[in-house]
Amino acid sequence: MAFLRSSSNASSGMGVADDCKHIFSELQRKKMHRYVVFKIDEKRKEVIVEKTGAATESYDEFVASLPENDCRYAVYDFDFVTEENCQKSKIFFVAWSPAVSRIRAKMLYAASKDRFRRELDGIHYEIQATDPTEMDIDVLRERAN
Amino acid sequence: MYGGDEVSAIVIDLGSHTCKAGYAGEDAPKAVFPSVVGSIDQAGAVEDIKPERDSEPMPDSKNGVRSFDSEKTKSKRKLYVGSQALGYRRDHMEVISPIRDGVVVDWDVVDKIWDHAFRERLLIDPKEHPMLLAEPSSNVPQQRERAAELMFESYKVPALFLAKNAVLTSFASGRATSLVVDSGGGSTTVAAVHDGFVLQKAVSSSPIGGEFLSECMMKSLESKGIVLKPRYSFKRKEIRPGEFQSIDLDFPNTTESYRLYCQKLIASDIKECVCRAPDTAYDESAYANIPMTSYELPDGQTIEIGADRFKIPDILFNPSLVQTIPGMESFNDPAAFRGLPQMVIESINKCDVDIRRELFSSILLAGGTASMQQLKERLEKDLMEEAPQAARVKVLASGNATERRFSVWIGGSILASLGSFQQMWFSKAEYDEHGVSYIQRKCP
Repeated sequence: MAFLRSSSNASSGMGVADDCKHIFSELQRKKMHRYVVFKIDEKRKEVIVEKTGAATESYDEFVASLPENDCRYAVYDFDFVTEENCQKSKIFFVAWSPAVSRIRAKMLYAASKDRFRRELDGIHYEIQATDPTEMDIDVLRERAN
Repeated sequence: MYGGDEVSAIVIDLGSHTCKAGYAGEDAPKAVFPSVVGSIDQAGAVEDIKPERDSEPMPDSKNGVRSFDSEKTKSKRKLYVGSQALGYRRDHMEVISPIRDGVVVDWDVVDKIWDHAFRERLLIDPKEHPMLLAEPSSNVPQQRERAAELMFESYKVPALFLAKNAVLTSFASGRATSLVVDSGGGSTTVAAVHDGFVLQKAVSSSPIGGEFLSECMMKSLESKGIVLKPRYSFKRKEIRPGEFQSIDLDFPNTTESYRLYCQKLIASDIKECVCRAPDTAYDESAYANIPMTSYELPDGQTIEIGADRFKIPDILFNPSLVQTIPGMESFNDPAAFRGLPQMVIESINKCDVDIRRELFSSILLAGGTASMQQLKERLEKDLMEEAPQAARVKVLASGNATERRFSVWIGGSILASLGSFQQMWFSKAEYDEHGVSYIQRKCP
């Protein structure tokens, strides 16, 4: 039952640094950031903020900020105009796990995702991507509409 | 909370065909041996077994191995574990499997297998190492508690964790949500994983796995007059330099199950050497003139294999082909009526509409049988034809055969070695305090 579960079957037990939630709420409420990239710090056993992108940055700059051969989590604030000419904004959570990254990193990020994702309240859509085509801007647009 | 970070954990994936065991943190299991064991009744009363065997309804058609679950034979039988012990033919030795339809039916044998893994293969003292066990995706609570009890009570392990096969495979590929197609030795299981949870209603399995294909291969060869002679049943002598003659030996006390076990090892090797999934559904007439591939049997005779190279793997996609193989006509297990693509689609359709798209684009192949050449391409092609138009079908498999075969074990190995995971164990202290049922809370 979804409402009874506390963590996934093989959760990694990774914690979440305090500023993750804080910076996420800056993106969500104040629109201070276009995107936030998070990484897992294995020594500190928690998820930390790696990078934030200014509100003016483009989607391409966001994609470029994800490493080619390592995993990350990210949130992206997607602004778009609907067919009814209505300005809208949706927050996407991206689990970035490229096929070429080390299997240890994939395991670490996949097993920690559920817990971390729950900390961020107000995500609209979630995408898991193993190569850039899976998180193309068209994919976002399609999901948001 | 269990804090034993310094001692490395042991990871065990006991499959229906092979047991994989090794140290957490390594990239492949140190010990890989059959999950079947040899058993000799110690009372010496061979007569006792005979009538019992006759009254048994049928040999287990799925793995060709007879399983004793009669309580009475338990105490007085001697068990032989490991490929070496099994490789040596012994009079009256039956080959038995502790697992039937993915469920453990004989815990004595499982106990013996674990013991063999710890003491003879890994050379460790289980009292000192936390244990991570991989379990079938639809394992029932009673089975999990039994495993936990055995681990804590008779092996006195300091901590334990049970992780689901499909979840480990999914995580090891970097996905918390995916559809895992695990085609192993004894069966093929399709399971949907969402956010690290197996969606139980979307788990389906079929008895068609590697063992079953090997049996079909063997039956098909037999119908062409080719008999697979196990290594123990003949002696090879060099009569002239470079020229050998094999002499048949007769061991009347060899059991039927042991002979079958040995023959299937050969059939399985033939299958791994020559078979590949056909690009489109198998068609008898189109493959009639396919070039033959030769294979040398252990006794020196060379056989030629033609259409069977493609026909046998196609059974995975179209199980009704089985009925065209002489000697297998009687096979009609309702659980095996659907081919792989149908199983995948049915499983996805049982999930919530919102996640179907994502599942279609993250289909993961795992298990020994999934390493078959062209299997990934064929499954992807069949699914593209049958899946809903809007779905982007993507079948993923590790390019590395070892990773594909051992994906469950590797997932467990990494998980158990993560520093942050050490607080997740179900510890001996918690077991003593809360009892065995607490495992359901600790390892959901």
